[in-house]
Amino acid sequence: MEQPQRLCKGGAQAVVNLQPNSSISVAYHPLFGPHNDLILLELDEKLLPDVLHQRVSLRGQPDEDAVLCTQSKTYAIKFVGTSNSVFLIPPSDESALHENARDSNEKDHDQQDVASVIKVAPGNMELVEVAPRLDKLKMLLSENPYKSDEVFEVDELEGMEKNKISLFKWDDLTDRVQASDDELRSGLHSLSAVEIDGYWRIVDEKYMDMILNMLLHNSVLNDWSLYALNENEVVGVLESDGFPPKLALHCLQNYGSKVDKGVGNSCIWSLDEKRLCVHFAREILRRGKMKMESFMEEWTQKIPEGIQASFDMLEGEVLTERLGVEMWVRAFSLSSLPSSPAERFSMLFRERPKWEWKDLQPYIKDLRVPGLSSEGLLLKYTRRTQPTLDAEPVFSAR
Amino acid sequence: MQIRVKCSCGQGNCPEWAIVELQGMVEAQPSFKGQLQNLEIGQLCRPSAQENYTFTVGYHELTGSKVPLKKPLLVLKKMSHMEADQSSDLKSSRVELEVIGIIRHRILFKTRPKALISRPQPVVKERVSVQGSIVPNQLA
Repeated sequence: MEQPQRLCKGGAQAVVNLQPNSSISVAYHPLFGPHNDLILLELDEKLLPDVLHQRVSLRGQPDEDAVLCTQSKTYAIKFVGTSNSVFLIPPSDESALHENARDSNEKDHDQQDVASVIKVAPGNMELVEVAPRLDKLKMLLSENPYKSDEVFEVDELEGMEKNKISLFKWDDLTDRVQASDDELRSGLHSLSAVEIDGYWRIVDEKYMDMILNMLLHNSVLNDWSLYALNENEVVGVLESDGFPPKLALHCLQNYGSKVDKGVGNSCIWSLDEKRLCVHFAREILRRGKMKMESFMEEWTQKIPEGIQASFDMLEGEVLTERLGVEMWVRAFSLSSLPSSPAERFSMLFRERPKWEWKDLQPYIKDLRVPGLSSEGLLLKYTRRTQPTLDAEPVFSAR
Repeated sequence: MQIRVKCSCGQGNCPEWAIVELQGMVEAQPSFKGQLQNLEIGQLCRPSAQENYTFTVGYHELTGSKVPLKKPLLVLKKMSHMEADQSSDLKSSRVELEVIGIIRHRILFKTRPKALISRPQPVVKERVSVQGSIVPNQLA
């Protein structure tokens, strides 16, 4: 430890390497005490390189239970107490060894190895892999979505100052969100967040709708194929329509994927049919629930020419229910649901007390709990009833 | 808040710490309460080439063995660095955890103590308690 002491001679090395037919005295260290700043952390061997190469950190706000994050995973930290007496013996430090060497030259008669106990450990910390706490990310970014009016108010200092309050840079997010870097990145991706002027933002849906409609409008005007959009061309035209290039590009990323490096330095993008169809269904159902027939009519009308919409695409986005003879449809989006299983199921059963498997499955298939299978999840959070053997099983709250 | 876990020892060079673990408590004689520093607890002995050990505390002997830990334990030390905040007078402290050691084995004594000599003993108060008669270390 800090102060070289004669008692340090021997230390942990002497205990670990105690030779046959020999003994060592175990004593309280001159600095013996509670030493609450010394923590024992039990660690999987496979995580050791991450820790030793300084790739892990603890994340959490003062009011949250800290988690440990590696590059790709998140672990809850649990304290496991013990009723045993765990004597913790540090290695003797080198200066102490030298001192002892000198001492023993002077008077070698009373020299005996001593292992000194610095503290009695009350237990140790354990790591349990957990799902990243990404709901908070959604909450933080939803506080201040990027809206169309922001495009015009960049010069208004006052407005900026006010809005900065709920704007987050990458480091602000790692400070606040209990997720590893990789999980945070994929969380930002699944929220369709975009980095604008260094801040991570989600874009207001109405504004996204404006950009997308403008893009589709332009593709008709300019005779572009939705499956081969030239990035530079699209971004250029949208910019002349008043949309920032970053947002135009974000629109391509959100509703399409890069297919080709393309010609020159421009990329070629292909729009994704399903994502387009889902977008328009959401836009229509924003107004509330609709009769199936009128929904289908309006939906197919809105969808750009050449794209075939099928109702299956809306899995995890809408619920249908029969009221009398009519079939009704309304928005119920997976992305609006919490990601923790307990909260997810409670939300689902508040929505509907009874679920058939085919309806339920789209809303729970993304749930991943380390160490629990999807059957285990169902057992834990639902009650399964099957009136007759050939009937569809029905799931209700436990 | 983010707390970095630092390590200055690098892989393979992490100093190894040791654990001697026994069931129950070691109690010092009342005259030493609160003054445990430098007191000898007992003698740890490895009587043979096998990984069996005895731990003699006062007039009692424990028998145990060296057990490799299923998962290693890291010894972390909480470090607070006071930082003078330029923008204000407030001093904020930044906490870091530093890896200062690793533990891969413990010497575990899970048996009840055996009396070494027969002589009138005071009644042992707790069943699991190892009544340690600790003598002050000669060197202290």
